Amino acid sequence: MTAAAAGKPPAGSAHAGLRLAWLHLTSRRVPAALAAIAVCAVALRIALHWQWNAYGALQLPLIFEAGCAAVIAATTASPFGEPERATGRWLPLLRLGTALTLTAAAAGALVAAGTGAHLAGGALDVLRNLAGLVGIGLLCAALLGGALTWTAPTAYLMIAIYALYTQWHGPALTTPWIWPARPPHDIGAALCAGLVFITGMAANALCGARDATNERPGSR
Amino acid sequence: MNVATTELTRRFGRTMAVAGVTLDAGPGVYGLLGPNGAGKTSLLRMLATVIPPSSGRIRLLGHDPDIYRQRRQIRRRLGYVPQNLGFYPGFTVVEFVEYFALLKEMPSAEVHRAVAAAVERVGLGDKAKAKLRTLSGGMLRRVGIAQAIVNEPELLLLDEPTAGLDPAQRVAFRALLRDLGQRATVIVSTHLVEDVGAACTQVALMDRGKIVFHGTPDELTARGVGTTAAGDAPLERGYSAVLAETRS
Amino acid sequence: MTATPVTQVPTRPARARRVPLAAAGRLLRLELRRNVMLWMLPIVAALFWLITYRPAMAYPPLWNVRAMTMQTTALAIFVPTVVGVAAWLASREARHGMTDLLSGTSRPRWARQLATWAATTCWALVAYLGCVAVLYAVTARQGAWGGPLWWPAAVGAASLPAFSALGFAAGALRPSRFTTPLVAVAAFLALELTAQFIHGDHSPWQVSPLVAGPWENGADPGVATFYPYLPDLPIVQLIFLTGLTTALLGVLGLPAGSGGRRLRRSAAALTTAGLLAAITATTLAGTGRLDPRGMIAIPALHNPADNRPVPYTPVCSDTPIPICVHPAYSVHLPTVTAALEPVLSELAGLPDAPVRINQTAATYRQESGNGVSISRAGPAMSDTPPTLHILLPIQLARPVATDVLTAELWTNTARDILYNVIGGDRREKTEAQQAVAEAILKTSTLPPGTRTAAAAQRFAALSPAARHAWLTSHVAALRAGQITLAELP
Repeated sequence: MTAAAAGKPPAGSAHAGLRLAWLHLTSRRVPAALAAIAVCAVALRIALHWQWNAYGALQLPLIFEAGCAAVIAATTASPFGEPERATGRWLPLLRLGTALTLTAAAAGALVAAGTGAHLAGGALDVLRNLAGLVGIGLLCAALLGGALTWTAPTAYLMIAIYALYTQWHGPALTTPWIWPARPPHDIGAALCAGLVFITGMAANALCGARDATNERPGSR
Repeated sequence: MNVATTELTRRFGRTMAVAGVTLDAGPGVYGLLGPNGAGKTSLLRMLATVIPPSSGRIRLLGHDPDIYRQRRQIRRRLGYVPQNLGFYPGFTVVEFVEYFALLKEMPSAEVHRAVAAAVERVGLGDKAKAKLRTLSGGMLRRVGIAQAIVNEPELLLLDEPTAGLDPAQRVAFRALLRDLGQRATVIVSTHLVEDVGAACTQVALMDRGKIVFHGTPDELTARGVGTTAAGDAPLERGYSAVLAETRS
Repeated sequence: MTATPVTQVPTRPARARRVPLAAAGRLLRLELRRNVMLWMLPIVAALFWLITYRPAMAYPPLWNVRAMTMQTTALAIFVPTVVGVAAWLASREARHGMTDLLSGTSRPRWARQLATWAATTCWALVAYLGCVAVLYAVTARQGAWGGPLWWPAAVGAASLPAFSALGFAAGALRPSRFTTPLVAVAAFLALELTAQFIHGDHSPWQVSPLVAGPWENGADPGVATFYPYLPDLPIVQLIFLTGLTTALLGVLGLPAGSGGRRLRRSAAALTTAGLLAAITATTLAGTGRLDPRGMIAIPALHNPADNRPVPYTPVCSDTPIPICVHPAYSVHLPTVTAALEPVLSELAGLPDAPVRINQTAATYRQESGNGVSISRAGPAMSDTPPTLHILLPIQLARPVATDVLTAELWTNTARDILYNVIGGDRREKTEAQQAVAEAILKTSTLPPGTRTAAAAQRFAALSPAARHAWLTSHVAALRAGQITLAELP
């Protein structure tokens, strides 16, 4: 392979591009991640079968949103490490595409799971919360590595669950940075969640998850 | 005999990785040569009691590894460096070797001295407190060797141990092998025939799961004399000649 | 590398069984030094401050409220963290490609796993006990009456080995990259879900370590002051958690390769014993009943000695009619005194008026679902000397802020005291009684423009001395319902 060829689209055909995308998705265990997201959606659907009280109704979908976000973030870990970072310019796009696809799949699955049931907050709430949580997970992956991606979404989940509780049993935590505790149409909360999502996506696309060894993110 | 196998086989799905190996080995250094996919690693993994054979018999250090209690006895006296050496990046060199000393059930009072000795023997005394994530590939390989020899094993199994070592380290490693081979059975799987020539008293050549040659390095060299077999060194030509003969 | 050993090492390792504990101790120490839970401690501490410490400090220094709040909220922090870390460490061998290398060592895999689990649990316990120590030390320094409640702390502490074992078993049996996040979030969900399934005092779900008392009551300031903290439910929870820990650790020893036949049989026995203990505890939790003293009693475990009240010396106010409260609530006495003093000044010295007002214990009764009725234990009035027994609003199973307490004292407690003096035993109050109460309480609950409201305004316009003089001479008739609105001055 020549140096010039390394930076070009693989073999210059749609088939090769699809093949590359598929191999990338497989290396990140995306099929397993989709299965895990499906499990979260099915579990949400089952859970919505029961009646949930005021803040419980808001806390419940949030738990499944956090589960999906942690799963999406966990896919960022690369099994190849540096050899992959040293390849051409397609890697950031592949990372971005994978994360966006999985986020869209998770949002779709969770909204579908809530359709016809009493999904507190509605689809807008799911989208905002999921986007923000995915952003947190992706930032965590870039900083701590693929294996520790679950820590930040889980910690944020605990804070958000508590913040929702305080809406009924004050003093309430009302900062827009804890967006799950704000109403679905709250602009400030949506902006915060969106900002975290975009930052997380950018960090993931540009740096990927930090490798297991001591390499710093940023080297491509 | 420290190692005695009879018609040993190992199958992975439809692939027969080891197809009937009979081998006897006492103290000394045994080189295990063979092309990629010959079954060397599978044979070593069986000898390391990591995987059971599909058929055949193994006796190691006078014990039957099929029986748990005896397998545990074997493992106390065994050293093993796998081809792909894993490690915990957060451990220091000493901690990693100490971890294996404890897992090999060494007497607690001896662990400290044994770990220090093993680390010194592989030339990592000055890196004893370094985290594994900070070491180079060659140093990590030496850490792997240190954990294998920490319990002064009577059976030492090394899968590609010199990969990543610089020439000076390889020379030192061969000397270490010769020293260990005085009392223990050392089986080294390698692609580097010069290592075999320099350090091994016996050599076995595997191809397609079978041992196709067993003898001394000189005997293997002799098989290449007068042939047109490929190779830059006499031992390499012997290796190529035996393989060509087997496959013809 | 050198060909000769620098230090002479033993030519053959002696049997380690002679000093198994020393080796196990070294292994544990090694795991402790490199355990990832250590790195999670700052996160856990920060979450504890935000979710447990800060709200607990917003409540008055009552051991019951602080301990019960802590049991519930601290677990919500620790459980997902410990489960996640344990699952992550359990999958460490596969993640780092160490499986082959470790399989060739002689110590059973189970022993190796137990060392990692124990180190994780140790750090989690250190963190938990540290957090509890800070919370309890601050509470003690704020002058909380009585001693710390250790049962809630014990249940919380016992939960950590159990959830650590849960995470570890998941990570060891299914070492996938998704195991850790899924099991951490699932454990959190399961913990929260168990509480949703509690319906009434006989629910087996009360075995959940989140539950510190009747679930719907939450952290109840009314319990464990007049009577001891009932250990029945905590004991059941401890049995359950110990059983769960044992069973899950046993499960780790079941797969082939964990150890020898004897070891695996022991693991199977442990699993069975643990499951039996967990099932027994769950069954026992299902026999629970709401004790009149406000906690869950388990008949099979209940000690009648716990029904005896805890002796105390009440703290009394310096008011015309002294208000005496349990010393645990002494922090509220200034608020209570300030709120009730105007009413007490009006009532002091009236015929048959109480000479003292005592805070009394509440009595609890289970209603349908999770409903609990709380009322005063014993009669409102007792003789020699005439003493009125009241419940403070803070005893109604909800911690309240000072401003809310003042409002409730005025609208509810003061009215109750007043009606006890001017209203007699009848449920329905006469118009005159309502007008007098409205005038003394200075409230405006009566429909404006009515005769009763006008009479209340008239009576309120009197000077305190005139009101007191009129009440002194007419209170008996007013109580008997013989005074009409027209007869009010």
